[in-house]
Amino acid sequence: MTTAEAVSSPVAAAGAVRFLGNEGAYWRLRIKGAALVVVTLGIYRFWLATDVRRYLWSNTEISGDTLEYNGLATELLIGFLFAIAILVPLYMVFALVALELDMVAVTPALIGFALLLLLGEYALYRARRYRLTRTVFRGLRFDQHGSPWRYALYALVCWGIVIVTLGLAYPWTSAFIERFKMRNTSYGDLHGRFAGRGLALFWRGLPIWLLVVGVPIFAIGGMARLIDWNMLGNELAASQGGDDSMNTLIQNNPQLAMAIGIVISAFSASVLVAIVLYPVFQAVKLRWWISGLRFGAVAVTSQLRIRQVYRVYLRLLLYLFLLGLLASVMGGMTVAVVLGIVGLAHNATLTQVTIGAISLLLYVVFMIGSSTIYQVIVAAGLWRLGAQTAALSGEAALDGVRATGTASSALGEGLADALGVGSI
Amino acid sequence: MTLTADTPAADAATPSGPAIYFDGTCSVRNDVVVEAGAAGLRIFSAKNRRLLDEWLYAELRRQAAPDGVLRLGRHGETLLARLEIRDTALASAIEDRAVTLDRGGVAERRLRRKVVILSLAAVVSLIFTAVIGVPVLATRLAPLVPIAFEQKLGSAVDSQIRATLDTKHLGAGFVCDAGANGAAGRAALDKLVGRLKAAAALPYPVRVDVVRRPDFNAFALPGGHIYAFQGLIDRAQSPDEVAGVLAHEMGHVAHRDGTRTVLQAAGLSFLFGMMLGDFVGGGGVVIAAKTVVRSSYSRRVEAAADVYSVGVMQKAGGDPRALATILARVTADKDEGIKILADHPDTKDRVIAIDALAPAGASTPLLGAADWAALKQICAPSPAGATTAPAGATTAAASGTPSASAAGSAYGKDPSSGATAGSK
Repeated sequence: MTTAEAVSSPVAAAGAVRFLGNEGAYWRLRIKGAALVVVTLGIYRFWLATDVRRYLWSNTEISGDTLEYNGLATELLIGFLFAIAILVPLYMVFALVALELDMVAVTPALIGFALLLLLGEYALYRARRYRLTRTVFRGLRFDQHGSPWRYALYALVCWGIVIVTLGLAYPWTSAFIERFKMRNTSYGDLHGRFAGRGLALFWRGLPIWLLVVGVPIFAIGGMARLIDWNMLGNELAASQGGDDSMNTLIQNNPQLAMAIGIVISAFSASVLVAIVLYPVFQAVKLRWWISGLRFGAVAVTSQLRIRQVYRVYLRLLLYLFLLGLLASVMGGMTVAVVLGIVGLAHNATLTQVTIGAISLLLYVVFMIGSSTIYQVIVAAGLWRLGAQTAALSGEAALDGVRATGTASSALGEGLADALGVGSI
Repeated sequence: MTLTADTPAADAATPSGPAIYFDGTCSVRNDVVVEAGAAGLRIFSAKNRRLLDEWLYAELRRQAAPDGVLRLGRHGETLLARLEIRDTALASAIEDRAVTLDRGGVAERRLRRKVVILSLAAVVSLIFTAVIGVPVLATRLAPLVPIAFEQKLGSAVDSQIRATLDTKHLGAGFVCDAGANGAAGRAALDKLVGRLKAAAALPYPVRVDVVRRPDFNAFALPGGHIYAFQGLIDRAQSPDEVAGVLAHEMGHVAHRDGTRTVLQAAGLSFLFGMMLGDFVGGGGVVIAAKTVVRSSYSRRVEAAADVYSVGVMQKAGGDPRALATILARVTADKDEGIKILADHPDTKDRVIAIDALAPAGASTPLLGAADWAALKQICAPSPAGATTAPAGATTAAASGTPSASAAGSAYGKDPSSGATAGSK
């Protein structure tokens, strides 16, 4: 449906959520933006991000009215500069402290990693606040409260738990984090909640987990039982870890070879299955998240189907393949032509430099190209899909909301950008 | 703020039309009739024709909206009141009267163009700073770094380097100074190094160790620890050749090259890593930029160390051309190939430069025959010793850690990727 048709009936079915945008316009926005980002070595990204959010927000219609993003690119730029002003001294202090304490490599790296994770989660939470307070709906803005440091701590601990349980705890930690975020989110004086249950996500995701994580674990367990550990230990000690020890070990223990083979094939199968089932995971997670959103008496439901998400990812693969084909062909032709010309000079240095420059250009073009394709087809595609399949109930409550709240600074955005975390 | 009449005018000169109004205090959607008066917009309720508000043209600002909708906000108000106009005739009339609305987005485009141009200027300035400014700054700052700090930096890097180079995990046996041969060789080495130190008068103590690696290489860490590889001793045909190489490394120490390289790498990392943004494919550009700048810088540094070596050898009474001799001999064995981004100027250029600087003439070798023989055997297995020198070709070490390669000013290529020339 074109935007004109959609707009001509402004009061759509009450409670309906629609996405009005035209994908062609978004492609143009993204491609032009990507070119400018490369040319300005990244400085233009704040303007691109602002344009993207304006497009996505403005085309999301809820109960007949569209969202509005009123953030400015300059706010993002200032937030970034501010963040740099904080991060640079932080990095320097950290390096100096590590040097003073005479620690080498591993320990400071681990501590630094944990600190960066913490800072990243802090930045994400503040960035979320920035985006919410710049979102206007029916003349009222959204808001977010709650301590970002507490969120960061929770997030870090949750990640730790997920890793330790090999992913089994993910549904419950997700629910916990979403509950924290939504309970601190409000639209005017309408308070948010998250009604999704960890158990529901667990049941939906269990088949995936069994196939992706369960199979390798089972294989490892099986391998452990196949091997005579005592004998293996003795042989390892005797061989003194020379280069040939692995081969002799395998020759002496055919079971070891089989066990290793089983484990490797189990892991490979697991990776393959993970790739194939990834859209299923995304669909399940998205539907669970959307249908858990609550604002006061307003509830959101989702009719998202797994096959719709699959279609999105298959489109992605197709476009990536086409891009790769195009890049190889164009790249090959360019290299041939340029080398032909440059080869006339018979200057080895010039030839090498030219090859290097062309390779770099092809690399950048392919990376930017695939990123743009991903953003248009998957990121925006899933946004559109989520919106089109969502619906509100109790939307009458949307008519009686009163204004509260003020805008927040863009520091969180800046930090998230400087640390390389963040999404749309 | 009232202006003229409190009821909508009926004449055709004043354009009017339906719109949707949100007053910013409550989320109720109000159907209104908007009149585009002389000084501003008058908003009348559609139900009872009551005047709800008046907005001056000067205060009007366009907000992000889907295609076909003119969404207006008021500048300078904390309330986010919104007026949404879908009637194209009315929208056009309002755009005629309100200059601030920037019809067609001309002002916005002009601003963006300015942003892009400024960014391009910033990029040019950045490249200029990186290529010229950073090395100059690093050179100015390096002497200011306290020697104690540099030694700390050196010892921090030292263990990393050891771990990388000592691929056979010989631990203490990695250094050739144990056993009868090792001790004798050590004594000879100390004599040689002593004569060089007397001639050089370095700002802080220097320590030289010969380690069991078959590559022809030597490098100096910040803080004055110099590593010479067994391959160097093996390929040298006179003590002056070894001395020439060691004097070159002492040049790096005297010039504080290790610290300079670290400062320069940090500066480049900051400029290209942090200031530039996070754009996909940027990683490749950053690496390429750093590599190019670093290698051009390294050539100057190595040439300066060559000059230093000639000076010291002359003062010590040895043959200043010995360095050129061994360089020429070693590279004649290998296939030189094209080294565009080599960290050294072409060896031929170096040989020519050294020979031009150093007067040819007779000189006495810096070590007597007996001491030279002992030094040659420094890494040979002692009669009752347990350590064996690895014979035959060994694979080049895995790539070293970034800090290791930044800090060590290599004589050959980067210390962790020393070239092999097949078996001795």
